Amino acid sequence: MNRERKRMWTKEAATLAVLLLGIAVGSHATILGLTGTSPNPTFNFIAKQGYISTPDGNSIYCWGYANGATGAFQLPGPTLIVNEGDTVTITLQNQISIPGPPAVPGPAVSMIFPGQQNVSASGGTAGVLTQEAPSDGTTTVTYTFVAAHPGTYTYFSGTRMELEVEMGLYGALIVRPAGFDPNVAANRRAYDDPASQYDHEYLYLLSDLDPTLHPLVEQNKLDQYDNTTFFANNWLVTGRCFPDTMADPNVGYLPSQPYNTAPLTHPGEKVLLRFIGAGHDLHPLHHHGNNALMIAKDGRLLESAPGVSGPDLAVSDFTETVAPGETIDAIWVWYGYHLGWDEYGHTLGGPGPFQPNEIYAQSTLASSIGVADTTISVPAGTGHAFLPPPRTFRAIIWGAGYANPDLDPNREVVTATRSLTNPDTFTITRAQEGTAAQAWSVGSIIADTDHGLPLPVTMPSIQNLEFGQYASGSPFLGQSGALPPLQGGFNPYNGYYYMFHSHNEKEIVNNNVFPGGMLTMMGVLPYGAPIP
Amino acid sequence: MNGMRELGWAALLAASLMAAPAARADNLPGSRPPDPYRSRTEGIDIQCPGATDPKAVCVSIACGDGFVKMADGSDQYIFGFQDVAGIDPTVMWSYGRLGAEFPAPTIWAKEGQHLYLTLTNLGMIMRPDLFDPHTIHFHGFPNAASIFDGEPMASFGVTQNNSVTYFYDLQEPGTFMYHCHQEASEHMQMGMLGQLYILAAQDDLPDGTLLGTFTHHTGYKYVYDDGDGSTKYDVEVPLQMSSFDPHFHAADLGIQPPPFATMVDVYPMLNGRGYPDTVNPGGIMNNRNAYRSDIPNKVAQKIPALITCTQGQKVLLRISSLSTTEFNTLTAPGFPMLVVGTGAHLLRGPDKPDGTPGKNLYYLTQTITLGGGESTDVIVDTTNVPRGTYFLYTSNLNELSNDNEDYGGMMTEFVVN
Ligand SMILES: [Cu+2]
Repeated sequence: MNRERKRMWTKEAATLAVLLLGIAVGSHATILGLTGTSPNPTFNFIAKQGYISTPDGNSIYCWGYANGATGAFQLPGPTLIVNEGDTVTITLQNQISIPGPPAVPGPAVSMIFPGQQNVSASGGTAGVLTQEAPSDGTTTVTYTFVAAHPGTYTYFSGTRMELEVEMGLYGALIVRPAGFDPNVAANRRAYDDPASQYDHEYLYLLSDLDPTLHPLVEQNKLDQYDNTTFFANNWLVTGRCFPDTMADPNVGYLPSQPYNTAPLTHPGEKVLLRFIGAGHDLHPLHHHGNNALMIAKDGRLLESAPGVSGPDLAVSDFTETVAPGETIDAIWVWYGYHLGWDEYGHTLGGPGPFQPNEIYAQSTLASSIGVADTTISVPAGTGHAFLPPPRTFRAIIWGAGYANPDLDPNREVVTATRSLTNPDTFTITRAQEGTAAQAWSVGSIIADTDHGLPLPVTMPSIQNLEFGQYASGSPFLGQSGALPPLQGGFNPYNGYYYMFHSHNEKEIVNNNVFPGGMLTMMGVLPYGAPIP
Repeated sequence: MNGMRELGWAALLAASLMAAPAARADNLPGSRPPDPYRSRTEGIDIQCPGATDPKAVCVSIACGDGFVKMADGSDQYIFGFQDVAGIDPTVMWSYGRLGAEFPAPTIWAKEGQHLYLTLTNLGMIMRPDLFDPHTIHFHGFPNAASIFDGEPMASFGVTQNNSVTYFYDLQEPGTFMYHCHQEASEHMQMGMLGQLYILAAQDDLPDGTLLGTFTHHTGYKYVYDDGDGSTKYDVEVPLQMSSFDPHFHAADLGIQPPPFATMVDVYPMLNGRGYPDTVNPGGIMNNRNAYRSDIPNKVAQKIPALITCTQGQKVLLRISSLSTTEFNTLTAPGFPMLVVGTGAHLLRGPDKPDGTPGKNLYYLTQTITLGGGESTDVIVDTTNVPRGTYFLYTSNLNELSNDNEDYGGMMTEFVVN
């Protein structure tokens, strides 16, 4: 269904839209959810039952936390977004009634909040972990806590978890740091520390379900429900299986699964990935395109001196192990540095436009050089940003009066190697790629950039290839190319797409249908393309 | 390993002289016109720039189907890769028939080099009804461009009888991996998995270079550009975890739809072998001739998992997992395993804005747990390890079997001489 709708985009229309919007779009994707009213947000949940749909054509009986009397059953429960220091109150009633036959009342349900301290619970009946709401539809249990620490958390039923979490009683809780402001870049943070600043945030609430267990519950055959033979065949990201993960939020054909996970960004922008393990199994969540920096786990920054050091224990990886009940915050950025070719397909001298992410490192000449000099120096403390020795790198030198090398007709391409002993001194080989050696004055610009480098290989005929839905047909960001009929079509802005998925690859199917399951596609769009 | 990096220049040049490049008006926009350093026969187009790119390393790999032998003697039908470096394109189809290997040929190169990686799709001998494209996904490549990412939904798969040359400017050292990403749940279960690692440029520093208080000498090798010699090692052994579900492989051989929903792996392996094949230092001959009488058997499992060293050496274990189903834990009781890297990255906190290196987060452990698509670098310092034979095995004890045969599976030996 989403396929048909998205196919209505034509490349021509999309390109025109980019041109009209220009480059000034400064949108920042945020996670959908309920925010309540700070500093005393109150949420009224009712446990309800219903059906989720999976792309293999199945309709699966589930339970979920619904938003109040008018809120429909949903999976997962509403994402709660509150502020550090808020006193959060959640009331819970239970309307679950197992259809049978014979129809019987559902079990009592409850809510627990890992990572929150001093949660008070009142009303209902006492359970093992907390107060529980019986399925009478009227008894109200009230949970209250102070959201003392910013971070990514989860909530789920604390009653018969082997049954009720499998059935869908779970959700995400996000606590914004004090001073959070989505419209001020410096205050758009996951934690108090400035190293947690981001441009876009996306929620990966990972769960797995065994579709054979749910009908047993629906038919009141709980005596046959055997948790020890659990064998997942559907894998979900925030309540949906691919390709539904990529559909819009709140689409009509997924009435019980409101949240999508269709991440978008631009080169160089920081994407905060909030991972939550809400199922039975660990999932190795692999992000193509680049490593991510895991800055926090279970709602705490990875820092040696809390509040002081910043995330100095952060770890870079290309796959995050997301364990059940665990949360991870990771920052993923795609820069496009050092591909060895210009990802925009530019030639030196234009046409451009020269793009912000084309420069890996830049400094100026600290002293002038003549046409025969082979050593340069940059201002003290600026050289370390360049690649360390013994690596050599391609650099362009151009005049200080020009905004970029295309504008200076005398620009010179060199290869450079940093000194082993002084990072601010480089040895250079002059006049590369057909440019001429110039005398450069103090303040001239030197930058490590792939700008203007041609693609080093020739792509085969498109008849020799089979393109996917998110292919643009071009190697270059923001450009499209001819595609065979019925290939491509999902990439109107000609971005670079990257699969973010479970790398236990059996988990990217919907039962017997590939692809599906725990899979999303991250789009790195050219600058100017809008991000909703 | 050296063999596959030697492309056979004479053969390539000869081929390029014989087969003039076909003119093609349908290149993707912006790509370069054909250059003379290539050969082309039918859809094969091996691009290797030679002297025009002194940093070039060229690897030529073909993919298709084949057979391997499990440690209990059973044959498994696989999809896989094979090394076709130096193979003349005019004979590649006959050379490569049913020649898939498991694991795939190991690819390695050095930081700073340019990897020209050609994949040629030879098609399926046992499944002529299948026209599956294939890809190579360089797993973990930093700042990947989707065109060379090998993930076909965002780019393309290479259709049968055709080839593509992927290009990578190797910017970061570390333990990566590669696999086909086309219909990944099927093609990876079927065996399109391999090891890929990039050596650190720090190895090539001039003799006597000071790295802080550490003095580099020619011949020293490091896992990463650590700047302090802390990842120096003497011997490296790449170990890749993987596992097979024989029912899935039988279904593919028997022209049945792939049974994703029942996938359960019962052949846990290291480097494509279950114990005791893991400690066989030689190759393992397959039994493909029983399935195609016109094709003789072949050594299709070429990578032992036996670890040998001399007491006092530091052994680098480049451990990765491309299991399609499970997390696995490897343990080596009594061994000090120092974890120095994860995700093809030095295990060190972020650098400070002024360039000061971050905090070393190395740790000593007895267990390494990896899910599919995860890698880690472990250094075992054998200075205080008594000479002898040790076991490195999965502590998921049910995985110590080759299907119904016990005392096998994901286990190998670590010999300290
Ligand atoms: Cu494949």
